[in-house]
Amino acid sequence: MENVQTIEFDISGQICPSTLLVALREINRNINELNAGRVQLVFKTDNRDCTNTIPEAAGNMGLTVDVRKDDSCYTILVYKG
Amino acid sequence: MQGRPPETGNSLTRHKAPATSVTGALLCLPTILNAFKLICLYCQPVLEFEIRIFTGRDQLMATTPFMLLCGTLLGLAAGFIMHRSDFCLAGMFRDLFLFRSAFKLRILLLLIITSTILFEIARLTGLIRIYPFPLLSSPSLAAPLGGMLFGIGMVLAGGCVVGSLYKTGTGSVPSLVALAGLVAGSAIFAEIAPWWSSVNGAAIFLKGKITLAEALGINPSVPAGVAVAAALPCFVLICRRGGWVRPTYTEGALQPWLAALLLALIGLISAIAIGMPMGITTSYAKAAAMVEAALCPAHYESLKFFQAMPLQYTHPLTGTLLRGGPGKELDAVALVQFPLILGIIAGGALSASLLGEFSIRLKLPPRQYLSAAVGGILMGLASRMGAGCNVWHLLGGLPIMALQSVLFLVGLLPGAWLGTRLLTRFVIR
Repeated sequence: MENVQTIEFDISGQICPSTLLVALREINRNINELNAGRVQLVFKTDNRDCTNTIPEAAGNMGLTVDVRKDDSCYTILVYKG
Repeated sequence: MQGRPPETGNSLTRHKAPATSVTGALLCLPTILNAFKLICLYCQPVLEFEIRIFTGRDQLMATTPFMLLCGTLLGLAAGFIMHRSDFCLAGMFRDLFLFRSAFKLRILLLLIITSTILFEIARLTGLIRIYPFPLLSSPSLAAPLGGMLFGIGMVLAGGCVVGSLYKTGTGSVPSLVALAGLVAGSAIFAEIAPWWSSVNGAAIFLKGKITLAEALGINPSVPAGVAVAAALPCFVLICRRGGWVRPTYTEGALQPWLAALLLALIGLISAIAIGMPMGITTSYAKAAAMVEAALCPAHYESLKFFQAMPLQYTHPLTGTLLRGGPGKELDAVALVQFPLILGIIAGGALSASLLGEFSIRLKLPPRQYLSAAVGGILMGLASRMGAGCNVWHLLGGLPIMALQSVLFLVGLLPGAWLGTRLLTRFVIR
């Protein structure tokens, strides 16, 4: 099994729409690595609006998204499925 | 960093909005209506008795608990609904420029058109006794400037006036900073009020007329009917394309289209029970007045802005004369708006707490605190300049086609665009 590097971003509490902007920026920055399956991105956020928007945005770029709720935060995993 | 490979078969974890949250929302509605019915039933015999026997002060005594209860319940419902549906008027304009997304704007249009229908029916059936609503004024060509500053401010603050309220309830610190900014901005306005008054006054046109219908001298049903007739086919088309529904991944999510309908209903109940739709920002001026009066009373006394009493109306249900303004007194403005403000904060807090999502995070990039403060100050200033905030104009003025509100919107769009540019260039990088 290949080693997949996980890069985490904690954006909880930040001003709206930080989560979405950071997520889009980082996805674009790492798009090649993501597509090759070498990297997966994790975004930790408490922003509900962005949590609802990222999956479709990432989906449009050909990526898969898992959303999980941990305590008071949402953890969004973005990878090439 | 070693990471675990994605588990197979575990693709999108999608929380379908419909089941629990629609049920939850629909459960809210009868509760609100029943509470309102009970209040009216309770107050009616009491108030009729009192109005006959007592006058003045005692009428006010009966009106006060009614208003406090109504405002708080409406605010609670609004805050809860907005939190669950990520309803934010700032986001609606911001996302248009930031992500070329018009979804939220369609939802806003749904809210406005629904309010238009509800207000017009209520006016025709006599449920709304005061029309146009109190605190609406003749249009001024200076209004777009207020709208523009507000647009910049709400994007920088990460939320509009109500957005900042319910988000504060969920523990968002930038939103709390924005609220403080709103108070400060109102205080700054008090200093420039005489200058603005003359500028604004010179730019007033169609004096004595507030709505489009009044300006044209036609029945309000006509413009309302035209707007609705133009919008409904578009709505049906959007429905066919599935453009009203968005997938959700958060717990307890409420579909925005349902939130829009519920909020229109809340606006209607507010207009019937309190006398006007939701309005908030004069209270920030009042808060500023209270602080200034305590810290520098001599200077406070010199500011004419705080002595004005722009709110004067007869309560539609109890017949009490209510007067108020932005000064430090606990007057009609406080009676109408404070419960609403506290209710919205509490509604957001309740919604977040029930989901276990209430959390306060303090370690944020410093420029975000600055952005929120500047945004709040701009909103505070601009809402006084434009005689109302976005909620007041978009959800109260536009549905009855108040011209000042239309002009405010004209400025809001470029303002939101500019705010988005500033946000992406300087705040979130």
